[in-house]
Amino acid sequence: MKNSEKALKKLPKKWIINLIFTVALIALVIYTLEGSTINPLRVKQIPFIIAAFFRGFADILWPALFGFDGYQFNESIIYLALQTLSIGFFGTLLGAILAIPVAFLASRNIVGKHLAKVGSVLLVIIRVFPEIILAYILVKGLGIGSITGILVIGIHSVGMLGKLFAETIDEMDRSSIEALEAVGANGLQKVRYGILPQILPLMTSITLYRLDINVRSATVLGAIGAGGLGVLLTVFSDPPAWDILATIMVAIMAMVMIVDTVSSKLREKLI
Amino acid sequence: MTMARLTLTNGKSVVKPFNRIWIVLAVVIVLGLIFGYIIKLDSEGISFKPDQLPIILKKLFSPHRGETWADYFAYIPKLQNVLIMTLEMCYGGTVIGSALAIPTALLSSRNIVKTKWIYGPARFLLNLFRTIPVTVLAVISIGLVGIAGGSTLAGTIAITLFTYGVMAKMLYELIETIDMNCYEAIESTGASHLQAIRFAVLPQIYASFAGYVIYVFEMNVRSSAILSYVGIVSIGTIMRIYEMTDYDKVGGAVILLFGVCVVIQLCSDLARRKLQ
Repeated sequence: MKNSEKALKKLPKKWIINLIFTVALIALVIYTLEGSTINPLRVKQIPFIIAAFFRGFADILWPALFGFDGYQFNESIIYLALQTLSIGFFGTLLGAILAIPVAFLASRNIVGKHLAKVGSVLLVIIRVFPEIILAYILVKGLGIGSITGILVIGIHSVGMLGKLFAETIDEMDRSSIEALEAVGANGLQKVRYGILPQILPLMTSITLYRLDINVRSATVLGAIGAGGLGVLLTVFSDPPAWDILATIMVAIMAMVMIVDTVSSKLREKLI
Repeated sequence: MTMARLTLTNGKSVVKPFNRIWIVLAVVIVLGLIFGYIIKLDSEGISFKPDQLPIILKKLFSPHRGETWADYFAYIPKLQNVLIMTLEMCYGGTVIGSALAIPTALLSSRNIVKTKWIYGPARFLLNLFRTIPVTVLAVISIGLVGIAGGSTLAGTIAITLFTYGVMAKMLYELIETIDMNCYEAIESTGASHLQAIRFAVLPQIYASFAGYVIYVFEMNVRSSAILSYVGIVSIGTIMRIYEMTDYDKVGGAVILLFGVCVVIQLCSDLARRKLQ
């Protein structure tokens, strides 16, 4: 037996654990599919539904999309998409502003180990609290509309933004601050010339990334009453009006793709 | 734009670079004015009533009039069936969707498929698919298989589609960061592309991929409540059935969902630490 073969034989038998793990994973999937019954008559309909879905894109309601031919501009889907975009924009801005103090509270560099624990637990709670429940409570408590949407997205964003901001602050290079200290800079000057130039580009990049997520979730949260075009998606869902849904989807696709492209291009430039 | 020219004490002159933060601020302010106008238009005629918030919170998180706290908490165990349905949909959807995402992710990676006209269109289609909101994916799934008889199939399909989009994107970004030296080494021994992927790519992404699966599962459980707004039975259905009438039951559902999210978060933190 060659040496290499001996070495191969000596390798830990990882495949047994992997096999058991995979079998368990798949068995559990099969178990969860138990409740997934389907009416056999329904199966024959599937091609027609798919056809209806794609036909929706051929029958796009241009007047409703752009607001002409009896539709006012402020009733049009483009206008509602802009409203959704505005909610995402202000929500992200609010989230970023709220996240800065919380991030400092959660940063070991700034407040020390013990206080940073408090800050990070607070951030985990915000992150884990489902956005939809937050939207539900705020819509019931404050009323339907864009302002509520902005608040929901703003508060929920603090969880992720605060965590990433705190990491940025913690990973900051201390040598430039020490250099400023050595030439006798005061506290404010240290922040202005030592800290801000290091963390601002990264924080802007993180915020842009979150803007992309927030615009997407603003389209969904509208269903609960948080403003924008999301509400139309549920209104026309039962029975599905594919032409209207396709029209709304075209607006959403254009909006999200533009935000996605702009945000990723800007982020490439920042880093 | 004139640059500030400073003369130092030693007689040399330097140009102070233009600070790009002003461009960022200007863009944010202009966008803020435009979007602010739109929000203002929408908010006219809508009554903002913050005094309602404490009332709603009290209704949600205290027993119904004439009932005790024991009654309030006795309702939560009754939700176990709908909770199990929700978790089943999320689990099945997450695992199937993640598995489906692997081939798409490989096809969209710049370093595996070196032909631009393959990964370019693959990425574009994936990004287009990812723009579809989860509520619309749910409407499509319901249209396809129906929700008769309390079947969870439509929910599972909706979550599968959603997971597929999110996961494929995260995966191809991950695959593009791997070390390609082993891939080339294995290819140079005469291995096929598939063999090279099997022995060079998969071992490198395995741990992170498992972490992503847990992360997406967590995300799916948190957002499953929205599916009830288009008719799929989940924890969110309780929130909808009893809104206006029995806020205490809604409160129970909220506590349960939050509790489950916390448990999943704790488990996933543990699992991710083990994986690293």
